[in-house]
Amino acid sequence: MASAIGMREELIIKACSSAMNAHRSPQGYILEEIPSSSDHTFLFSFRGSWSATDWFAHKPFGETDIKLDKFPSLRSIGNIFKNKFRNYIRMNEPMQALKHVHMGSKDDLDATSKYIIQVEMAVEENEQGCQKKKKQRAVMGKRQVVFTGHSAGGPMAILATLWFLERAWKTKISPLCVTFGCPLTGDHIFSHALVRENWASCFKHFVMRYDIVPRMLLAPITSIEQSISTILHFFETRPRGITEEASDFYETVMRNASAVASHAACKLMGNTNLLVETVTSFIPLSPYKPFGTYIFCTGNGSLVVLSNPDAVLQLLFYSCQLGSETEGTEIAHRSLEQHLGYENELQDSLQMQVVHDVGLTELANLPLSGGDNSALNDLGLSTGARLCLRAAAELEKRKQRNKAYFRMPSWTRESLETKPISKKDEMKKAMQVLDDYRKMTAVRNVGYYDAFKLQKTADDFNANVKRLELAGIWDEIIEMLKRYELPDGFERDGEWIKLGTRYRRLVEPLDIANYYRHSKNEDTGPYTIRGRPKRYRYTQRWREHAERMVPGSSGESHFWADVEELRLNKDGFEKVKDEVLELENNLLKWVNGKDLDEDVLLEESTFVKWWKTLPIQHKEEDSAIVKWCKILPNQGAESGFSTLMTNT
Amino acid sequence: MCQSPLFSSGLEVANFVVASDVLRHSWFTVKELYGEINDGPSLCFSVRFKTDDRNPNYNIIAFVTWPPCARDHLQGGGGADLVSSSTLKNTFPLFEFLCTKTHPAISIHKNAIQLFDKFHGMLDSLKSQISDSKPLLVTGHGLGGSVAALFTLWLLEKMDFTKTKRPLCVTFGSPLIGDKGLQEAILQYSTWNSCFLHVVSQQDPLPRALISPNISPPTEYKPFGTFLFCSEWGRCASFEDSESILELLKATYSEVPGNQNPNQGLQFFDYAEVVRQLHRNEICKDSTTLVLQQDTQPLRAGISTQLVAIGLKQHQEQQWHRLLSNTERQERQAAIWKRQVFDPSKKLNDMKINMARLEWYKKLSKDKGTGYYDSYKNETNTSDLDVVKYKRILTCYWEELVAEVDKKPQKEGATFRTRWLFGGTNYRRMTEPLFIAEHYKNGKSDYIKTGRSEHYKLLEQWYNEDQEKAASDPLSKKANVKASLTDDSCFWARVEEARISCKLLSNGDSSVSTKNIHKANLIEFEADVLGMLENYAVTPEIFLRNSSFMQWWSEYEEIIRKNFMGTAYVSRLTNWMRNRGYRDYASGNLLIP
Repeated sequence: MASAIGMREELIIKACSSAMNAHRSPQGYILEEIPSSSDHTFLFSFRGSWSATDWFAHKPFGETDIKLDKFPSLRSIGNIFKNKFRNYIRMNEPMQALKHVHMGSKDDLDATSKYIIQVEMAVEENEQGCQKKKKQRAVMGKRQVVFTGHSAGGPMAILATLWFLERAWKTKISPLCVTFGCPLTGDHIFSHALVRENWASCFKHFVMRYDIVPRMLLAPITSIEQSISTILHFFETRPRGITEEASDFYETVMRNASAVASHAACKLMGNTNLLVETVTSFIPLSPYKPFGTYIFCTGNGSLVVLSNPDAVLQLLFYSCQLGSETEGTEIAHRSLEQHLGYENELQDSLQMQVVHDVGLTELANLPLSGGDNSALNDLGLSTGARLCLRAAAELEKRKQRNKAYFRMPSWTRESLETKPISKKDEMKKAMQVLDDYRKMTAVRNVGYYDAFKLQKTADDFNANVKRLELAGIWDEIIEMLKRYELPDGFERDGEWIKLGTRYRRLVEPLDIANYYRHSKNEDTGPYTIRGRPKRYRYTQRWREHAERMVPGSSGESHFWADVEELRLNKDGFEKVKDEVLELENNLLKWVNGKDLDEDVLLEESTFVKWWKTLPIQHKEEDSAIVKWCKILPNQGAESGFSTLMTNT
Repeated sequence: MCQSPLFSSGLEVANFVVASDVLRHSWFTVKELYGEINDGPSLCFSVRFKTDDRNPNYNIIAFVTWPPCARDHLQGGGGADLVSSSTLKNTFPLFEFLCTKTHPAISIHKNAIQLFDKFHGMLDSLKSQISDSKPLLVTGHGLGGSVAALFTLWLLEKMDFTKTKRPLCVTFGSPLIGDKGLQEAILQYSTWNSCFLHVVSQQDPLPRALISPNISPPTEYKPFGTFLFCSEWGRCASFEDSESILELLKATYSEVPGNQNPNQGLQFFDYAEVVRQLHRNEICKDSTTLVLQQDTQPLRAGISTQLVAIGLKQHQEQQWHRLLSNTERQERQAAIWKRQVFDPSKKLNDMKINMARLEWYKKLSKDKGTGYYDSYKNETNTSDLDVVKYKRILTCYWEELVAEVDKKPQKEGATFRTRWLFGGTNYRRMTEPLFIAEHYKNGKSDYIKTGRSEHYKLLEQWYNEDQEKAASDPLSKKANVKASLTDDSCFWARVEEARISCKLLSNGDSSVSTKNIHKANLIEFEADVLGMLENYAVTPEIFLRNSSFMQWWSEYEEIIRKNFMGTAYVSRLTNWMRNRGYRDYASGNLLIP
């Protein structure tokens, strides 16, 4: 059982009770240590809140954009959203709650960081910086950090875990986040980013079958703001006589959950009826999406473990439906009571040890009419519900197949004579041809870029054809990424990043040469602004994300575009002096770091010819290159930069 | 791409529509409208409407007819007549825009269009009342629903979808509206088809009133949009395919007398209870037992759930199996058809490669000193033969693309065109000379009128329309004359015609009038060339030694020498040519005195 969920039973129970206790904690969190023979665990439990303003700060769904400088790993790498140029993720507003927790602190995340620093200290046995709770006992064996929370404490725990993951990736500690009855917190990019970074498995969410809180944020605030205070009050004090509000609340939340679930299901099933799009503009749809692993407590002692976010969303709706109309009031009541019943329920379930881990294959082969011993029977799912779950599984499978498609040998134009070849191999072959072409152009003393631009020989022509073929394959990949048809982890796949970087450095100069040769800048403007194909933007961002570089710093492949634009500049040297200096600094960095090939500096290249037209003052004194050569005269003389130093 | 098993999403679409509350709000407005009508029963129909903007998310317009239309009205005395667009053209041309080349005539239910006609004077004022900020929900009951649909069609044509969202038309218990022509015209514009939702209850006779066996003479009404079938016990499912819809309309009808509105004493099917039941059931588990085989495909299973939801019984075996198989087949076909729709971006890269090959051929020909037009015409090398292949591939692609774009309606077509115009113009300028070469090589003449393919004409027409907006600056072209293509893709045809004129002039047999025609032709040709030169719109390759143009020039000089053009004929062009001004043209220095 532990393996299915990934946690020891004792830890689950302990976390649950800590989470419930944390509600009463005055400072907003409890930190406990659980020594044990195998690992030493630090358990942080966060307090929730029963005040309505803490739950919803902004309409319509209480979401806010999260600042990606605090959580840089969570940004969407390739796809950028159209309405704003920076990426954004929407996340529930637990910041408010944090504010209440840490008294007097204005910067909410500072509060969390103080917790984290304590953990790091404890974990690294760092003696510096005496904080109130030093944990410096020598510990044998592994150390584990667990963040937990119940109800509104859940998002707090999630934030804390994210903070830890962002900052403490150097330590080998993988934190755990365990929530109970936690409302939905992030949107689909959040969910995608967590899977991509391989962090999704750190999050375990326990959900009772009828607990209304995990479904609550599928409804817009306007529809529930009347009743929310009463409901929250109920959680706090448990009075009697709440039947009517409970029923209304339940119905409202479930109706909105139905809208979200069926909208998502239409997409999963590949629906082509545009009516769905038309109707979508008539209602507000909740942006939230589940992430991580969900553990549903079915109510009769068994647990169902599910990780596929699409399937979890469907299950959140379908498992909470009424069995028949008459059950209305009773279920509405249960929906509130179960929110507070985690401790008992988990005690029972963990004793019974009936856990169904529903993986991808099981989901894809789910029997469509129930009645057998399948895992999801306990949740009472209709055929329609099962079809939705199957569709979720099929989508995931299709994504995996799409990724594998590039490895599968198939018949292409060229391979018709020999044997089937996979797209990946085709790509590698084409890049090899271009590599050879590059070596050959070095002989002609003009360099790769200029040789291609002049298009004099048949080799130049062949290079052009290869360029177009490669563009075709990469554009296909980018199209699939844009439509989210590739697995979430694709943009972090080391092999693809390497392939992409090699492709970018090899072929983008040719694309730039083609662009300026046909004077496309006259219609479309400078290459880097509007003319740059997506396949280069994406591959550049993959590399920058993987190596944690500053976004935009891996621009060595569009170096030639910068040169062309400076060359065409008519405004006079003074205006572009800063850009020239920046270019030179980058050039030094890239050539010396081997990111950029030295053929840039050949005698007849566009760059050298342009550089020699710069004012003498710059060439002799101000240029960054000149300064570098003066500082390191030996290196300067041996490097390709020596061509710039010779006077013509 | 990798395929996965097909799913039928009709149930989920229906769930989504119900959960979105549009049904409840639209019926509420209809009910209010009926409540406001105080007239007694009357013999002729009139349209009433009402606007409602209380909802923060959208505006509602509701249409009803007074008195409410019943089945009997439609099933006798010409109630089911269609009126065709050709008849309407003179009196009421509002729906002309639906007729295109492929669908030249459409027919609409006469009663509906007559009612619409009666109030169409108010259309514009109504439209201006509606604010653009919120999307519009148009709704109607019975024959009022038909009017609502026609109103929505009219709106769709007028609206600018970059600024507003699409409207949604929800009809309750409305009869069918038009024939196959109308259906296909709307289906062409898939976004238009997505704006119509027709709610049909199992017990309502009106939607079935205009289907073939019920009416005489039998006229072919066809459905469009999405139909939401609601069963007696409160479940529903949606269907899009029109053949399935017709079959299901017939199959699901249960004759039990439905709700009668006691107040009016007329047959009036009240959808309030239907909508209420739908809402109650959306949060209840669907407990109907469905017997499925162990390995049923998801598509079949999905359709089965839909059929059960709309009230069909699995145990009525024959009917069940027939409907299931038919619906499944139609969904599969629809899915295949949608995947096959021509998507130009897929093959775009191949086309770029072929264009690159043609460019290379052009360059090689230039290096040889002939220019690719003549090289192709003379067909001396194997490379010339390869070009035939590239040309064919490109032409297939572009012909198809142009045909697709031509079919589209005005506004959608325009945006589509600008995307492909740049590539299309390049293609035209590069490949049309090759077609011209073939034409004249085979001894034919007058390419522009007789030999020119339709897609070139369209491409040129679109280019000219686009150019009216943007004026291109000849100076910027100066710098790039070397790399360019001739702007006028029919240039070589004109050269060939000029050569023919030269030949005929020097031929002693032709009559004086013919000679005059040809002389005029040549003078016009000179003027054309001059104009193009001054705009740098011709590639310098025409001045290569062996090109057809230079051959024309030598023939022309011959004629002038022999005084066929009149004694001592001189012109600006001839002087310039004689002075070899063309040598400087390539470097961008044009001086024609």
